[in-house]
Amino acid sequence: MKEERAITGDDYLLELVAFLATSARGCIDEPPMYGPLRLIEALSRLTDLPKYAKCLKEDEFLRNIKTEIEQKKQSLVFDVQEFQDMVDRIVLQVTKELKRRGSTSLIPPP
Amino acid sequence: MLDTLEAIRTRRSIRRFKPETVSNDSIEKILEAGRLAPSGSNLQPWRFVVVKSQRVLDMIRKVSPGYLGSPPLAVVIFSDRVTSYAKGGRLGRDYLTVADCSMAAQNMLLAAHALGLGACAVKGFSAAAVREILEVPEGIEPELILMIGYPDETPPVPPKHPIDKIAFLDKYGKAWSRSQGEKA
Repeated sequence: MKEERAITGDDYLLELVAFLATSARGCIDEPPMYGPLRLIEALSRLTDLPKYAKCLKEDEFLRNIKTEIEQKKQSLVFDVQEFQDMVDRIVLQVTKELKRRGSTSLIPPP
Repeated sequence: MLDTLEAIRTRRSIRRFKPETVSNDSIEKILEAGRLAPSGSNLQPWRFVVVKSQRVLDMIRKVSPGYLGSPPLAVVIFSDRVTSYAKGGRLGRDYLTVADCSMAAQNMLLAAHALGLGACAVKGFSAAAVREILEVPEGIEPELILMIGYPDETPPVPPKHPIDKIAFLDKYGKAWSRSQGEKA
């Protein structure tokens, strides 16, 4: 049995990889609406990355998004419209945040 | 202890759990409820792996996108496809295994609820990964994972179809109604 040790950024990254890989496999057979649910769950988990990867800083904006996801993600089972409204709100919030922070393109100039 | 109909009416799928552990006495009662489920041709295809180790629970969680929360206990329900085929043919292997394990799961969910526990049946997992983690031999298929623990939430009742949309009287499409049923 391995000794208990603190979770590192590498551990958490591998956990995210496991979640995404098994979700990808699941989405082949699962109900189509599970795709959005898995992506939103992945988004929620991504926002925790700064807790474990110390090169990233805590981000209040991302924390707030996670809070909303955790409160509403199960609405998919009860009310698809409520789930869709939540995703629409998150997309809008992220877009506004992109504008506010100023765009830094990851694509190198031609 | 809850009356059966009351247990059916009040059971919910629980995904948030308190950290308290579940006693072996309760676990045995839950397993016994599964063991006594109805079974086509009495195949009894179910096999149960009780997972209490935090390390193993954590590994299962990581490969199960539908496994939310951190329950202190999981019971993985497998079907033995080999013996089911030997005794029940293709119907036994391909259909009764799933039907029987589902009936066992429902018994176990109700038993957990009657014991004051919360539980949720999860199908959103990688079968290949679960087989690897639990060292499952060929011919034994994971059907469902039951997350079990003391509930830390009270979920609402999800929307359910009304009876007159899903139940019919004498022929398919002729809506069931209580008054018609009594005249017949």
